[in-house]
Amino acid sequence: MDSQEKPKLIVDGKRLDGRGFDELRPIKIEAGVLKNADGSAYLEWGKNKIFAAVYGPREALPKHTADPEKAVIKCRYSMAPFSSLEEHGRSGPNRRAIEISKVTKEVFENVIMVENFPGTEINIFIEVVQSDGGTRAAGITAAAVALATSGIPMRDLPYAVSAGKIGDQIVIDLNKIEDNYSDADVPVAVSPRTGEILLLQMDGSLTKDEFKEVIAKVKKAGQIISKAQRDALKAPYERISSKYK
Amino acid sequence: MEIVVPGDMILDKPIHMENTFIEENKTYAAVLGIFDKEKKVLIPLEGLWYPKHGELVVGIIIEERLNSYIVDLNAPYKGILVAKYVRDKLSVGDIVEARVKELDETKTVVLMRERKLYGGKIIDVKPSKVPRIIGRNNTMIKQLTEGTKSTIIVGMNGRIWIKGGDVALTTEAILRIQEEAHTSGLTDRIREMLEKSKKAA
Amino acid sequence: MQSVNSIKSTYIKELLNNGVRSGRGFFEYRKISVVRDIIPNAEGSAQVDLGATKVLVGVKLDIGEPMPDKPNEGNIITSAELLPLASADFDIGPPSPEAIELARVVDRGIRAANLIDTSSLFIEDGKVWSVFIDIYIMNYDGNLFDASTLASVAALTNTRMPKYENGNVIREGKLGKLKVNNIVTSCTYAKVGKTIMLDPDGDEESVMDARLTIANDETYIRAMQKGLSGSFKEHEINNLIERSFEKSKDLRSIINKLNSD
Repeated sequence: MDSQEKPKLIVDGKRLDGRGFDELRPIKIEAGVLKNADGSAYLEWGKNKIFAAVYGPREALPKHTADPEKAVIKCRYSMAPFSSLEEHGRSGPNRRAIEISKVTKEVFENVIMVENFPGTEINIFIEVVQSDGGTRAAGITAAAVALATSGIPMRDLPYAVSAGKIGDQIVIDLNKIEDNYSDADVPVAVSPRTGEILLLQMDGSLTKDEFKEVIAKVKKAGQIISKAQRDALKAPYERISSKYK
Repeated sequence: MEIVVPGDMILDKPIHMENTFIEENKTYAAVLGIFDKEKKVLIPLEGLWYPKHGELVVGIIIEERLNSYIVDLNAPYKGILVAKYVRDKLSVGDIVEARVKELDETKTVVLMRERKLYGGKIIDVKPSKVPRIIGRNNTMIKQLTEGTKSTIIVGMNGRIWIKGGDVALTTEAILRIQEEAHTSGLTDRIREMLEKSKKAA
Repeated sequence: MQSVNSIKSTYIKELLNNGVRSGRGFFEYRKISVVRDIIPNAEGSAQVDLGATKVLVGVKLDIGEPMPDKPNEGNIITSAELLPLASADFDIGPPSPEAIELARVVDRGIRAANLIDTSSLFIEDGKVWSVFIDIYIMNYDGNLFDASTLASVAALTNTRMPKYENGNVIREGKLGKLKVNNIVTSCTYAKVGKTIMLDPDGDEESVMDARLTIANDETYIRAMQKGLSGSFKEHEINNLIERSFEKSKDLRSIINKLNSD
């Protein structure tokens, strides 16, 4: 991208949408929104709107996909054709969606106690109905909540967020425009209990120190994201209880 | 009473409890739940069912094999009844109540002492709500049975068999208990609901 | 699973054929809620909750070529996805015959009622607007037809018209609205044995022998679709047509209320 054509993403020390460099877009999560799924969540992250649902553990089908030692995790990340501000998208998973499905699955394979359910499959569905950058991170954050509502045992409640570089500045939570014109884009998923990194992708150019700054900002933002997940999980119980006080 | 989420540390020492895991001598929650410090128990708010010896379950025969019957328990695990120990002849589609013998190494629930159930209706609820449907000292289930005149068999796997009496009322009451399981005063509210319905009848 | 479902269904069939429907009348809709503009990125959108059935519709407009036999009219392309997250019985993969039937029936009602003024979609020679209506089923509990028609119509009644200027599509700024000439709604009935009911839920659909969807506006029947292998008697159909004209008043008023709010 010719830097002369790039829009200025930072004006007077603020980002185009008025946020500070370390500021997340507003996140709102609601747990248990879909009745048929074993677990579900709806998440709004800035303009992103995402449904996540979990089915399972249930019998792994077709049979050749089953593992006699543990549950198999299957994940489908998908974007609705009406989700973008631009043209109408094609139906069906494209290569980007397939890759995202894979790396998302790998996050949850790390934390779900799969040894408890041999021969079964656990299906995670992430449907992006409106997108504005950072959807894979938002999807993982939503799917973690959906899994927690399903009762499937996990060793942690992962969160994810994208960080990036705009000019020389490391910023957290890139929206679509920032993502398009950034000098680096780094989606990260973290296991908050251990601090371990469960997803890491990067595209652009970063020095080692810049990378360290990225992870530091990710973990700091993670406290807010984790709290949003936690609040969403507790809310249904607090709401019903207070109705009958 | 604090609600914990997967990954939250609940004890600074290693104690084996259901729905938890131990790492580096500390105990952590594995599911969304409420930790009872005194009883040292993590009560899952949305838990799965882990079969225990002697538990009563309700299932449906889905397959007849040479020496056994496969039973659907609405759970991640299938049930199995060994043909030679079975009381009556069973067929695919039959509803049975049975006791859990054990969860074998293939994670199949070996069942015993089955009894065929005739007619009636099945509803499936979340297994984590079953204790509330039964109630402490069976208070809730007794109240339901008296108030609706239905025969109710509650499987610990979350599958419930209802026959006779006001089945629609029984169903509504059970689904409501599931919805409000963790609140106080539920027993009274259900009693009111059942009484109101009696008056209306 | 066959036997598990058949246990559950025997009981429902008995109840229905004995004149008992849990919680509502045989010709009563479950609770309906309609929210428009739920997906601001799309030119038009709406979410309908019909009981526990949840449907999202997004409308997008793109530049397209007109059909050879209608060179001055725009296109309407309707698709439906029975998302696997909506039900344990929905699989991933290309649209099933059920999804295709759903999309085509909703489309038929909208097209036959001339809801969209397709001549207003004409831009210039060889260029028209194509209106993409995407029906996304988020949770299945029966009667996807009525929920999808309602959501599609609600979305279309508040759809922005992008601008086409100097070869570019402009989707932002002050835009006009898609011209809507008419409102259509649908009523779907299930037949279980000899009993007929409006707005079947998931359990009722699992035991139904036949299904009939009637789409109409104030004056005309605009589309009909009979589904499944059971049958309807002629007088039953005539009766359902009358009921649809009656019931559709309530559905139309839901849409009109959105427009006046």
